Amino acid sequence: MTSRRGFLAGLLAAGVVPKPGWADAGDPAYLTAARLPDRSYWLFGLTETGDELFRLPLPDRGHAAAAHPARPEAVAFARRPGTFAVVIDCVTGASKAVLESPPGRHFYGHGAFSADGGLLFAPENDYKAARGVIGIWDAARGYARLGEFSSGGVGPHDARLLPDGETIVVANGGIETHPEAGRTKLNLSTMRPNLTYLRLDGTAVDQTELDPALHRNSIRHLAVGPDGLVAFAMQWEGDLAAHPPLLGLHRMGGTPRLLAAGDEDHRRMQGYAGSIALAPASGQVAITSPRGGLVQMFDTVTGTCLASHAGPDVCGVSDAGRGFLITAGTGIVSLAGAQGEIWRRRHACQWDNHLVRVARG
Amino acid sequence: MRRALVLVAALWAGTAAAEAPVAAIVEGHVLPGFTRLAEASATLDATADDHCAPEDPALRAAWGAAFDAWIAVSHLRFGPTETGDRAFALAFWPDSRGATPKALAGLIAARDPVVETAEGFATVSIAARGFHALEFLIYDPAFTGDDAAAYRCALVQAMAGDIARIAADILTDWRADYAERMRDAGGNDTYRTPDEAAQELFKAVSTGLQFTSDTRLGRPLGTFDKPRPTRAEAWRSGRSLRHVVMSLDGTRDLALMLAEGHPEAAAALDAAYGRAFAIARDLDDPVFAGVETPEGRFQVEILQQAVDAIRRVVAQDLGPTLGVAAGFNALDGD
Repeated sequence: MTSRRGFLAGLLAAGVVPKPGWADAGDPAYLTAARLPDRSYWLFGLTETGDELFRLPLPDRGHAAAAHPARPEAVAFARRPGTFAVVIDCVTGASKAVLESPPGRHFYGHGAFSADGGLLFAPENDYKAARGVIGIWDAARGYARLGEFSSGGVGPHDARLLPDGETIVVANGGIETHPEAGRTKLNLSTMRPNLTYLRLDGTAVDQTELDPALHRNSIRHLAVGPDGLVAFAMQWEGDLAAHPPLLGLHRMGGTPRLLAAGDEDHRRMQGYAGSIALAPASGQVAITSPRGGLVQMFDTVTGTCLASHAGPDVCGVSDAGRGFLITAGTGIVSLAGAQGEIWRRRHACQWDNHLVRVARG
Repeated sequence: MRRALVLVAALWAGTAAAEAPVAAIVEGHVLPGFTRLAEASATLDATADDHCAPEDPALRAAWGAAFDAWIAVSHLRFGPTETGDRAFALAFWPDSRGATPKALAGLIAARDPVVETAEGFATVSIAARGFHALEFLIYDPAFTGDDAAAYRCALVQAMAGDIARIAADILTDWRADYAERMRDAGGNDTYRTPDEAAQELFKAVSTGLQFTSDTRLGRPLGTFDKPRPTRAEAWRSGRSLRHVVMSLDGTRDLALMLAEGHPEAAAALDAAYGRAFAIARDLDDPVFAGVETPEGRFQVEILQQAVDAIRRVVAQDLGPTLGVAAGFNALDGD
């Protein structure tokens, strides 16, 4: 059988030069932001075994990245209330473009490409009006900003494309912030988070809110399965003694189902889930709590909590096929499944909030 | 590999060595603070009965004393203060959308009879209740003129009564129930271990400091190009800097009690707070009006940096003694 590299070499020899794909970036499996000991910020490409493939400088603290579905290109977003996103060529390490959010807007740190990679959708804060918008950026033509539409709520934090390729799901965290007040939460008494489904032209097709008693449970991060299952992670802004669930599952048009571990383990999450990942092969979902130093894995069908693994400052989590790849502020990258940790290695950096899997082939 | 995992788990467990004097903190910090708030609020209520005119010095003094008592406990945002949004009903701020003046103007324009009963007033939007709403009625020229004086008098009295009832309810809940839940941490469902109660108090310190830095100082600072002096807290009554100092006093008291038995953490806290108080003492700008000039702005930024320095000491020196993770993501998630 012809190997992929051999096949490419053959094409090159024949004078047929294909556009570079992710293989030309060394086929990184994951992207993640990090801080080095000298306090500089970088975007890293990691292999499936947690080895560094490349590192590219960022102007300030990053949050998450979006990997282009075809080109070896990633958009690394600034941490909220940052106003930049850097388009990085993951083959050469060069910055191909810098997105500046328009006046009166800032990024939240996440974004999602359309299925063909032609458009990039980024949650943004229209902070004067205290409304969330989804900015539309032209990934086919140098990332010009094409426009925006309402996110359907306040504080849209994360957005993902559904497998139908026609819908994006947005986690409207519900929290009003204004860059002049830093990260101060301005509306905790009245916040109303929701999950909104939008067509790519901005038409809202579904929206779901939790029970009013949970209106201080900020819906923040998303993972989407190949069957359209949406998993969402929450951060509780109410009384810590209340311990509401921090994980939910939803399908467009359905009602959300909230999951929590047994009481003792659930409390150890300290009301805070920082990242979320679905592992379709095993039908599992994982959430992390850096505050509790805990990763929890659940069965998405039964809703049972399968495992709670301790790990200081864990936050980034991503599907790794036979388990979850997990990153921590301690520099540790580990692979773990419900049965326990499979391996770990340590890098001399602090991994930031999210670990993004690069969709390949 | 298994050995490494066990070792990490052991190190992790080893950080949680809290024998924080929770009972002493409840007795010596929480209950006295909420008692002062209830007493000063009752005095405000009684004073408003006979002194409801905006300029009345007795009304202003009673309002100021009760507000002081609130700021001193405003970091204790858990349990009884959160029931039914009581804390927000006492102090709806920041008010980024101008809801308070809007709601007040609506009540006054309609001469809304909702002020006539305590039960009725308790249903009014929290933006039109509490210390900040009352400040508009006694310090803001838009609300202190001759127009509708009789109605405004009734509104002042309704607000004072409402504040007094909320403060009394918070104290009642603390005395009847919540104090025991904290003292008895480990024997009840709210706090399953003494660590959980200590961590709740720790969180009160760290979020209280964050609010002072980001909001009490950060909002008037705005940006260099667009400073926002009229976003300072309670600037109409000239209390902005006073609130910063009083809130620092409150968190300092609690932080030092939490640091008992950890002299190094206590010394670091003492030094960091001392520095912030010295800067605040030298700051001759009670409402941060100076943020509009480069020099004035610099002074307020220095104070904010001093508060942030306290936050670092709290996170890095105090937190670990109470089993609170001080990691990159744990401290500063999103």
